[in-house]
Amino acid sequence: MSDVVVSKSLWGRLYNGQTSFDFYGKRRRGFGLSLALIVISLVSFFTRGVNLGIDFEGGVAWQVPASATMDVDAARSVLDGNGVETSSAKIQTLTSGTEEFIRIQVGDEPTEVRTAVQNQLAETAGVSVDEVSISSVSSSWGRTITEKAVRALIIFLVLVSLYIAWRFEWRMALSAILAMMHDVLVSVGIYSLTGFEVTPATIVAFLTILGFSLYDTIVVFDKVQDNVKRFSGTRVPVADIVNVSANQVLMRSLNTSIAAILPVLSLLVLGSGVFGAIALREFSLALLVGVTTGAYSSVFIATPLYAIFKEREPKFASLRGSHVTGAALQQMVVTGLPSGNRAVKRVEASSGEVQTTDVSASAVLTHPPRPRKKRRR
Amino acid sequence: MSRRLATSLAIFVSVVALALGATFAAGNEPSLGLDLQGGVSVTQEPVGDYNSESLDVAVERIRERVDSLGVAEPEIIRQGDAIVVNLPGVENQDEAIRLVQVTGEVLLRPVLAATPITSNENPPASVPAADPGASSTIAPTDSGASTTIAAPPISLTLAPPATATPGPSRRPMGTPTTTIPGTTLAPAPSDSSTSVPAETTTTVAADASASSTSVVATEPTVDPNLAGGDPSDPTATVIARNADGSEIYQLGPAFASGEVFNSDAQADIIQGGWGVRVTLKGGAAGADLWNVGASQCFSGGATCPTRRMAIVLDGVVQSAPTVNQPSFSGGVDITGSFSESEAKDLARVLKSGALPVRLEVQAVQIVSPTLGDDSLQAAIIAGLIGVALVLLFMIFYYRTLALVVVGGLLVSGAIQWSVISLLSKTNGLALSLSGAAGIIVSIGVTVDSYVVFFEKLKDEVRAGRTMRNSAERSFKSAWRTIIAADIVSLIGAFTLWYLTVGSVRGFAFFLGLSTLCDVVVAWFFTRPTMLLIARGRRFGGGRALGVDSSSSGVANPVGGAA
Repeated sequence: MSDVVVSKSLWGRLYNGQTSFDFYGKRRRGFGLSLALIVISLVSFFTRGVNLGIDFEGGVAWQVPASATMDVDAARSVLDGNGVETSSAKIQTLTSGTEEFIRIQVGDEPTEVRTAVQNQLAETAGVSVDEVSISSVSSSWGRTITEKAVRALIIFLVLVSLYIAWRFEWRMALSAILAMMHDVLVSVGIYSLTGFEVTPATIVAFLTILGFSLYDTIVVFDKVQDNVKRFSGTRVPVADIVNVSANQVLMRSLNTSIAAILPVLSLLVLGSGVFGAIALREFSLALLVGVTTGAYSSVFIATPLYAIFKEREPKFASLRGSHVTGAALQQMVVTGLPSGNRAVKRVEASSGEVQTTDVSASAVLTHPPRPRKKRRR
Repeated sequence: MSRRLATSLAIFVSVVALALGATFAAGNEPSLGLDLQGGVSVTQEPVGDYNSESLDVAVERIRERVDSLGVAEPEIIRQGDAIVVNLPGVENQDEAIRLVQVTGEVLLRPVLAATPITSNENPPASVPAADPGASSTIAPTDSGASTTIAAPPISLTLAPPATATPGPSRRPMGTPTTTIPGTTLAPAPSDSSTSVPAETTTTVAADASASSTSVVATEPTVDPNLAGGDPSDPTATVIARNADGSEIYQLGPAFASGEVFNSDAQADIIQGGWGVRVTLKGGAAGADLWNVGASQCFSGGATCPTRRMAIVLDGVVQSAPTVNQPSFSGGVDITGSFSESEAKDLARVLKSGALPVRLEVQAVQIVSPTLGDDSLQAAIIAGLIGVALVLLFMIFYYRTLALVVVGGLLVSGAIQWSVISLLSKTNGLALSLSGAAGIIVSIGVTVDSYVVFFEKLKDEVRAGRTMRNSAERSFKSAWRTIIAADIVSLIGAFTLWYLTVGSVRGFAFFLGLSTLCDVVVAWFFTRPTMLLIARGRRFGGGRALGVDSSSSGVANPVGGAA
């Protein structure tokens, strides 16, 4: 019975789904870290604010190919020449693989000024007017966009909570949403602290990530639900179920995050870094931030939160505070069977002695699988 | 069972291959959004009061104007009340931006002179097809103008514009008369009695000899080469044509705008034919203003020699009825040779003119062709490298199983290409930068479905089950997870698509599309492929699939049979 071979290396254990991280036991660290991050985010948000792009605040941005005659100073003088306030103008040089661009961003300006500056920029740079890209947004439209995005976000949250509550249970919906709000706050904080510009692309990316983070959480919860059924006839505390589930899907979580981050990184590094597509940069940056916090929160926030809510159920309340760690946890993760004699010893259960005799027969899937046949049909 | 799986897989793959082949054969390909090929995008939103008619009419006007611009794939989208006009690859940006800004204002202008154009195809300055000498020629296409002399528009003199003969004219909103239903607004029977004078007037006017002696005869003709003033300037004298280009007018400064009417214009049967009935607003801004113009036109003085009042929308004469009464109180009937749809169109124009929409430009985006090109290249290269990296990772981690992922991604890519190409052609869908990003992001979602599946498979095999058994069990549970997770993605995509505007919307669309693809591919491709592989001899053991069942001994009393 004790022939479970656990890989020696961490990689091997990860690969075979045999890790035994005590996510529940370490929950206070996770919550503490997240709380600290949220506080920093909020402080930064209220003191520094976020750098909203012209799509939200309104304004005009020109983008013109840089040349010997067209640099930041030249751009500034063009603005001056047309009576545009230059003190608040953001002028930057963008380098792409093939060429350089000057990007000039100012507040809302009337059409005539916009066209005049466009023509003059083209003239200064020695290119045709078509080569100057413009993006102009009135501030009222910016407000509309912001309102619509916020409204979409709220409705999205409500719908998804309803779905999870229906598909799984309300505790899971609550934990998932809390974890998602954590993601939102932390990401807003990162944008506020770094001063990255928030554009519609950012919002888009961000909403995707919320979906993604939820997706991640749902996969963990799916496993939790499986295991709750599996251990239904035993006296296993929620903490163990949660730990076992999180460990069992850990590799999947990591794999998914890696699979999601790889294309995003490619977008960020190659798309915007090497080739200089600015729109891609803002987008992929938000994705990167989101995927990272999403992966973190589904394991360190959503899952322990669920355990805390679930422990209030009478069935599990009496088992609170007794969860196994280390080798015993590993045993459960690997075999999917309750470790030790749960009625008598819990944390003391040693690795070698896995007894399944006291497990109720009603537990799902505790029967040994049919032995593999030597000869195939 | 095996055969059934193989058949369903074969059918699915061939359907996808056929779809892709048909796409290539038809030469369909995804059209690019303007951020990928350069172009102009203008977002306008109505401000102040407006009604839905006026917005509809404005969108129509924009569409007509854009069509005249000759842009390859214009996109005019209504998102809520906002109107987004996307003109990819447009040459003259300033012109394009100016052109899409319609006012929707209806102006009432006196007709100073009117000249029929015998051929609808002919632009005003060209020589008409009709024989100039045949002074009594009946214009072939235009029975409404049957009494006019078909001469070159430049030299025409005796055209009686008041040819409001109710007849089988096909001319939209041709030359109706305005009659006055007394003080009543309702289409009560008494209307017909007050309308009788109108009938007589039109009958007289229809007589060619009568019209030659009328005041009109001394009026100057319209010189189509004459440069009129700005059509949107109410005080200017302008040159305009009617909707089908059958008549050209010289119009004086506007008496009033369509705002003198209440927005209750209705197409109705008046005196046995289709007409439009509309009521006037009371007071200085309504009936008074209208009556000033009406009396001038009725008397046929210098300001309105033709006795006709043109209803002009966006520089196009919608109708130019003769005024049959000097003063109106309450309501106005416009009758003439209308068809039902013409009457309805005119009613709609009047309704929108009563409360014209004032569109304000909210956002303008001009992308230079080079910038668009750069973005496209960047997205393609980054996307391909991203896919390659993910596949490398999959091969490293799942070894031979990764071939299924490659196959799945190829199938999914073929489906998406076909669908996007088809929608590009039929619905004018354009693949924008954010849409491309949505697709790249969805690679992660798609791959995740495989990860969920393979991880469960590994669990099962590790637990000592046969490949065949494991594949079936693990797909079953993975399928539940995939559906649960994809539904969340779909909720997100749909919410975003429905509630937002601009690039967010494009992104949501492509995210939703690829999520649906994921579900389809998982069921119709991955499932049969994996089940078949699991049955085959070659992959029967877990080793080839990156599942090392021999090294992980199991809670298996019989012991791991290698």
